[in-house]
Amino acid sequence: MSVKFEIANMHVKQGSTLKIKGKIDNDADGFVINLGQGSEKLSLHFNPRFRESTIVCNSKDSGKWGQEQRDNHLCFSPGSEIKFTMIFESNEFKVKLPDGHQVTFPNRLGHSHLSYMCVKGGFNITSFKYE
Amino acid sequence: MACGLVASNLNLKPGESLRVRGEVAPDAKSFVLNLGKDSDNLCLHFNPRFDAHGDANTIVCNSKDGGAWGTEHREPAFPFQPGSIVEVFVTFNQTDLTIKLPDGHTFKFPNRLNLEAINYMAADGDFKIKCVAFE
Repeated sequence: MSVKFEIANMHVKQGSTLKIKGKIDNDADGFVINLGQGSEKLSLHFNPRFRESTIVCNSKDSGKWGQEQRDNHLCFSPGSEIKFTMIFESNEFKVKLPDGHQVTFPNRLGHSHLSYMCVKGGFNITSFKYE
Repeated sequence: MACGLVASNLNLKPGESLRVRGEVAPDAKSFVLNLGKDSDNLCLHFNPRFDAHGDANTIVCNSKDGGAWGTEHREPAFPFQPGSIVEVFVTFNQTDLTIKLPDGHTFKFPNRLNLEAINYMAADGDFKIKCVAFE
């Protein structure tokens, strides 16, 4: 998948909330939002897949994928404009989907801050903020 | 200056705009917002100086082409204060960039590199980006 947006040197601490708004391409198969320390060190790999109608989450530690976690609650579709809220807590990530459903994923790497974000595939960010 | 946020693969096209909001440190001396192709090819180096390099409350703009700085442009307006939240709105065009400051004052800076897209953005100095939006 092609990289759409990449940020380094972020200073997102535990307890922070990231808000990401964007538009899903009309012909998207899926997309990825990665958060972590770098492309090979991901605390959260968040990957909605439209063909499989599922959201796959995983972590990557020094290039090695962890165990996948799947959630079948896919409440958005290609062509739509959506907003995610990602809450970064000490033990887990909480991702609030547009309909309020929450996907949680453990903070397996145990990092206390996030410095890297990357968006890949059929999602175009229109706004990004953290507080 | 402390190394701040770096964003790449932005693919901002002529006619599109970028809104950046962030916090200026309470003891700010200077901050930088760079836009361009990469760190050596900048169509806009936007550098408000509170008290730096012999300048007081002045915005210095420049371009960087293949690592070489162009001619500095000094903008007398300075609607920035240490310890505040500021928002800068930049519209990218084939011929120039229009910069809108927090008080609504706007000015243009030529697109000297003739870039067809802005793919790189970096913040530096006493400024912490909190929000980026594309329009």
